[in-house]
Amino acid sequence: MTARESDAAERPGAAPEESGGLFGFRFWEFFRYQKPMVRVLTATLPAMGGAVYFFGWRALGVVLVSIAFAVLTEWSFCRKRGEPVSTAVFVSAVLYALTLPPRVPYMVVIVGIVVGIAFGKEVFGGFARNVFNPALVGRCFVFICFPVEMTVQWLAPYSGLPGGFARWARGADALTRATPLRDFQAGESVAALGDLLTGSVAGSLGETSAVLLVIGGLYLLYTKTADWRIVVSCLVGAVLMSTALHYSGVTAVPGPMFTLLSGGFLLGSFFMATDPISAAQTGTGRWIYGFLIGALVVIIRGFAGWPEGTMFAILLMNTFNPIMDHYVREVQQMRKARAGVG
Amino acid sequence: MNATPALVILIAAIVTNNILLANFLGMCSFLACSRQIDTALGLGAAVIFVLTCTTVINHVIYHMVLVPWQMEYLQFIVFIAVIAAFVQFVEMFVERFTPVLYYALGIFLPLITVNCAILGASLFMIIRDYTLAQSAGFGLGAGLGWALAIALMAGIRQKMGYSDVPRPFQGVAIAMVVTGVMAMAFMGFAGMVDIQ
Repeated sequence: MTARESDAAERPGAAPEESGGLFGFRFWEFFRYQKPMVRVLTATLPAMGGAVYFFGWRALGVVLVSIAFAVLTEWSFCRKRGEPVSTAVFVSAVLYALTLPPRVPYMVVIVGIVVGIAFGKEVFGGFARNVFNPALVGRCFVFICFPVEMTVQWLAPYSGLPGGFARWARGADALTRATPLRDFQAGESVAALGDLLTGSVAGSLGETSAVLLVIGGLYLLYTKTADWRIVVSCLVGAVLMSTALHYSGVTAVPGPMFTLLSGGFLLGSFFMATDPISAAQTGTGRWIYGFLIGALVVIIRGFAGWPEGTMFAILLMNTFNPIMDHYVREVQQMRKARAGVG
Repeated sequence: MNATPALVILIAAIVTNNILLANFLGMCSFLACSRQIDTALGLGAAVIFVLTCTTVINHVIYHMVLVPWQMEYLQFIVFIAVIAAFVQFVEMFVERFTPVLYYALGIFLPLITVNCAILGASLFMIIRDYTLAQSAGFGLGAGLGWALAIALMAGIRQKMGYSDVPRPFQGVAIAMVVTGVMAMAFMGFAGMVDIQ
């Protein structure tokens, strides 16, 4: 056994060694095997399939470009530390790609994922040490820097069979359509709830189909990869907030069903808010965290200048998490001390 | 005359127009004193108090003294003098009545004098033509916003004790990166209330 091999064998969670490999490239020496992250990747498959069906094979192209540059960025930092590239970087890259509009230029994809991985993750020391969700840091950066590419050019989805499976992408002269949230904000008639369920509406690559996202999300919950408390509290927060505001006569806020199914809310609450590292670390903190994400999504969509608020809501709560955890722990300690005295 | 209600200005100054995360004022003490949550909260409380009071005092002085005598060009020097005098007063007051807090804050208390957020708030108040009530709301809101930002930053920095930051990014560099991402997140509130 050489020194490198014994190192790989001792590393916790290292996958069984494959001897040889292509051109001497040993996959699990270059990448760190992380079972939960592989499960998240599996769970994104339905949404990815949906993206290809609705918007053509270019969607897969966007995902692959994003993965390639994510791995490259992480590797350039990991090399210095002597660590393998984490599997989590694939999750960040895929989730980031799924939040992009179908006609996003590859340049924008690359800028966002490099910023997200480098400044959202690697400057903190890599996997498990980041404060913010790297995918959302990247998306927020390009969202603010490239507003035209990120918010204007939406496409009507393909329909019927074979849908987008037989096409690359709609051309530049293709019919564009506003997203349901934009329609709502502009006061126009919005898509039917049935279309929001199946996903045949305009929107970002992976966010349109509620059914496919819920299938992936349930798999995450079933395998206990995602914390059910976060998902449930996100949904409850959004439902309560939108019900309260909508039925008390605030016209800027849609009803609870539309709130849940439209935009990136399901993608955000099942896949992004549940990121175990940037989420709150205490149990009570997770309930508050999820609930506030749901509430903030409704508030930002209704009252801020943006049509969609899921990304901002999760990033904001990432910011609030550390201090929230600090006080949750402090209260718990106080209670414990009091119980000990009594 | 600005017609926005004082309460709206207060809320806007906390979230949408956060003096630190939207205007990037008061960065120096924000970066220097955000290593621990307790210190950060103490400094935040002091800034809230000083900001609210000096904004109101400066408003009165500007409209009662400088404008009638047509000496608006002296506003910078007068505002700075007022802030310095007020911080001195606060320092003596705190030392006399709560020595514990005085020693906990240490050098940070006199340093509030040179916190640009304080002078910035007074100048914004003049530019935006606020009334006395609006100025009080704006001063309080700006102070609360600043305190919120430094508390969040202190929490993040405490959590980052577990991080393994690469050497070129240690210290102020990583703090600036975190501040940048926080500012991006706070852009989510943009357009909610307009206080210009």
